[in-house]
Amino acid sequence: MNNESDHLSDKFIVANVLNGKIQDFALIVKGTEKLVTQIVKKMVFDEDDQKDLLQDIYLKAYQNLASFQFKSKLSTWVGNIAYNTTINHLQKKKIPIYDLETASGNASKETENPEVEAIQTEAVDILTVEIANLPPLYQTLITLYHLEELTNKEIAQITNLPEGTIKSYLFRARQILKEKINQHYKRNDEK
Amino acid sequence: MKNSSHLSDEALQSYLLKEIQDDSLIVEHLEACSKCQKRLEEYQVVIKNVQKIEPEGFTFDVSALVMNTVTVYEKRKSRRQEFAFWGVLILLVLGISFFSLPFLPAVFKLFFSGSGLITLLAIGVGLGVFLFLLTDIIRQNQVKEGKIFKNNLQPMS
Repeated sequence: MNNESDHLSDKFIVANVLNGKIQDFALIVKGTEKLVTQIVKKMVFDEDDQKDLLQDIYLKAYQNLASFQFKSKLSTWVGNIAYNTTINHLQKKKIPIYDLETASGNASKETENPEVEAIQTEAVDILTVEIANLPPLYQTLITLYHLEELTNKEIAQITNLPEGTIKSYLFRARQILKEKINQHYKRNDEK
Repeated sequence: MKNSSHLSDEALQSYLLKEIQDDSLIVEHLEACSKCQKRLEEYQVVIKNVQKIEPEGFTFDVSALVMNTVTVYEKRKSRRQEFAFWGVLILLVLGISFFSLPFLPAVFKLFFSGSGLITLLAIGVGLGVFLFLLTDIIRQNQVKEGKIFKNNLQPMS
């Protein structure tokens, strides 16, 4: 029922925008802002780049709104544009998107700082730092699954990756996070 | 299975995320195996705390930034369309004028050789058509401007 009403409301908003009510596009932005923010923010860290990407993503969505066929939720469609645009941006800058070796290297460097370690007493804090050290794609998948509470199917529609691949990346990401949190607590116990 | 005696990490995660329909074997194993029970608890800590992380937002107003971009794009598009319209119109007028040049002497001859009434009629019809087209263009332009700029591009309340 909720999905159906979402679908109807999507249709109504899209029809309004296509009929020239440009102001209604702000409703699309409001409805998808959280998801797009998670995708962009987890993969791109420079604020100017983030702003450029957001403008690029929503302009693409605005220009291609007429081609949206309601086969998925509007938010999933915008999420897909956000994901593809962000991945293209990373590829242009030659930033690896799922290189785990680089990520684990970063992680150990980060946790060697005693000040940072002292602050990270809570599991949530440790995980926030460790997720940030994961490769961009893993960060995005963890965020979409656990924070945005999207299903594997919805994530597959956004990322154009097979559901099996998403499951496998998520599995590996959780495994790394578990190892990192264990390492952290072991170090604290040894002190 | 990780090995013959313990549950695999995949099985533990799937069990925690309720992705397995029949988990009776896993439950049975967990009840008997303290090592797997401990590993399950470790994953529980990860999954429970990941869900507690507050999603970060941007420090700037995304809606304002995007709507400004869309408004600028729409204005530019509208201006481009206007330029294209006038460009085509000017080209059309110039083209018609150019191709009608050879016929002008014959047309003038028709006016000057005929009566004053025919001349007035021809001028009147020409002027009427011109005024009708001009009024229609102005009216259409006003409707378009009203639709785009007056109603839709005001800031959100």
